[in-house]
Amino acid sequence: MGADSPAAPRDGALRWRLWAFVPAILLIGAVSATIAAGDSLDGLVGTAPPPADEFSVRRVEFAPGRISIHVTNPQREELTLAQVTVDDAIVPFSVGGVEGGRTLGRLESATVDVPFQWVEDDPYAIGLISSSGAVTTHDVPAAVETAQPSLHGAAGLAVIGALVGIVPVALGLAWLPSLRRAAPRSLSAFMALTAGLLTFLMVEALAEALELQAALPSALNGTGLVVLGVAASYLGLTLVASRLSGGGDGAEPLGGLGLATLVAIGIGVHNLGEGLAIGSSLALGELALGTFLIVGFMIHNLTEGLGIAAPVAEGAARAGVARLGVLALVAGAPAILGAWIGGFLVSDLLAVLFFAVAAGAALQVVVEVGRYVARRAPGGLTSAPVVGGYLAGIAAMYATGLLTA
Amino acid sequence: MRVTRRRLLAGAPLAASAPFAVMALSDAHAADTHTMDGVLMSGEDMAGMHAAMIGDAVPAPDGPDRILQPPPAYEPGPVRSYELVATEKEIEVAKGVFYPAWAYGLAGEEATVPGPTIRVTEGQRMRVRLLNASTHPHTIHFHGIHPANMDGVFEPVAPGDTFTYEFPAAPAGLHLYHCHVTPLKKHIAKGLYGALIVDPKTPRPPAQELVMVMNGFDTNGDAANEFYTVNGRAFYYARHPIRVSRSRTVRIYLANLTEFDLINSFHLHGEFFRYYPTGTGDAFEYTDTVMLCQGQRGIVEIDFHNTGHFMFHAHVSEFTELGWMGFFEVGD
Repeated sequence: MGADSPAAPRDGALRWRLWAFVPAILLIGAVSATIAAGDSLDGLVGTAPPPADEFSVRRVEFAPGRISIHVTNPQREELTLAQVTVDDAIVPFSVGGVEGGRTLGRLESATVDVPFQWVEDDPYAIGLISSSGAVTTHDVPAAVETAQPSLHGAAGLAVIGALVGIVPVALGLAWLPSLRRAAPRSLSAFMALTAGLLTFLMVEALAEALELQAALPSALNGTGLVVLGVAASYLGLTLVASRLSGGGDGAEPLGGLGLATLVAIGIGVHNLGEGLAIGSSLALGELALGTFLIVGFMIHNLTEGLGIAAPVAEGAARAGVARLGVLALVAGAPAILGAWIGGFLVSDLLAVLFFAVAAGAALQVVVEVGRYVARRAPGGLTSAPVVGGYLAGIAAMYATGLLTA
Repeated sequence: MRVTRRRLLAGAPLAASAPFAVMALSDAHAADTHTMDGVLMSGEDMAGMHAAMIGDAVPAPDGPDRILQPPPAYEPGPVRSYELVATEKEIEVAKGVFYPAWAYGLAGEEATVPGPTIRVTEGQRMRVRLLNASTHPHTIHFHGIHPANMDGVFEPVAPGDTFTYEFPAAPAGLHLYHCHVTPLKKHIAKGLYGALIVDPKTPRPPAQELVMVMNGFDTNGDAANEFYTVNGRAFYYARHPIRVSRSRTVRIYLANLTEFDLINSFHLHGEFFRYYPTGTGDAFEYTDTVMLCQGQRGIVEIDFHNTGHFMFHAHVSEFTELGWMGFFEVGD
């Protein structure tokens, strides 16, 4: 729409702008009428079934002599916790320091504390009984003391985050001198490899987000959250990309250090989610993080460093060690942050959001790298080195991913 | 309104004239403190302890104590009449947990699960009129010896209808009554059952008499019990120990009406008792644990040697921890 479009009479324009309120007012009227009709509307289609009265168990923590259960009321109606069982035995409990039952409003959360002498490594079945007698059962495969926020614990998680995040990326970046001397054909193959591994990360993150959201209370609309996360991060990173390329209309695709930074951001967001998953699994005793698993993650993430190195090698500008160090931190350090969040917070909602954001970011970077390869690679997107490199990227991620399964 | 146990006693001549008083340790205990023999315990101390003190301290007037007290024996006259009403009623089966029960109640009184105890003398005609005030057909099927047309199997009583069961009571002992309309499991598990005491013509020796009907409640419809109780409320007699005296025999009319689980049991701590199966003979076993299948019952006679708190519970540990546990507070 140009600035010289015919000017409509101003009062007319105002009238039509005011018209925008009409649907909203009509909606309010329709909603009021529906609420007023209330039960008689229900009567048209039979009586409504009773609420399921099931709780959503967000997290179960074990401390010496105590089990803490984080619960949410996932349903529209109020939900009253009347009794708690551990392994089919009624136990005393308190909610927020007050002994006995508690009524939760819609989506209200509470922490239920049960004094209990639990046995390390034993499985436990937690039962939450509503005032209507409905039972929500939550199985704990093995009781392990939950890590409490502490300097020591935070340091441990930071070391693990650094080992699986920063170290492999930095090592991968060490391929840079070799890549600089590579022929343009092989370089474009490595660029395609970057796109391949990011494609893998994108699908993996999306699958993770969808799987995690399925466990959320349906009232939280996890699917919508995933869509929102993907879209927001894709568009957000598009904005970053356009800033990095000089703010133009994107006539010249981003390359060199700029593209490498973008790749590093994409990988960093993914590592945030990965760190969160590791931290939360460790805290809840669901994951035995042996050295084998750490080594697996290191090898898996080594390819990520290679992915960042490829566009740097392509670029004209030389990158100093400091600049490369920053790239490694951008891509790897979020794993530490994620591990802290996962280790110390009730994080199921955040985990969904993080993985959705990771999927959107990876998708954006794939598109960005694709545009670059299409422009620069001899033979374009369909040349053998590009197709081969892309597939090799996915295959490498798949194969090294087996080490962490 | 807060109904105290003392007020309940004062208002019930039957209970007041009983040879013993059923009282809580003290009505003054707040719901948020736990006591055992006067020792206050915090929530943390409770870890590993029996969840005995779960629940509020205020006894309900239509709660388990109504069942605990048997009606007086040997009402004179050729006929002893009862009027039972079958209704649908939400009952509290554990602190804060409400169950949509089907329940029998004496006409003009609150319906309960288990239903009111019916008591007659052997040979006396028992006349029980059933008014079905619920929305499902029901009957009363009595255990004992009676004509086929009084069996509560062939004459479902439609909602709003009545039926009168009448026959001479026999044999002496402890029996049951329950609804026998199909689906049978549902009609029993919902709460339509109670104890039937047929006193022998020659009275049993005097005793402090109690009725204990063991049962369970399937609150989530999974054909398994979530709560186990005696007389209808989980852990009730843990919060409100039954006061008895060691100078007199304690006689318990004990019946098992637990649905879904094949057996239930009764175990007494620190003491042995005489167990008379079905209460029909003189032979007894001297034991501290008896096992009863669905519908099985008998008479327990305890002569306490010691005073203090003695636990009683199902020796099925799962049932114990899901509500079937209580205490005798034995005094001199």
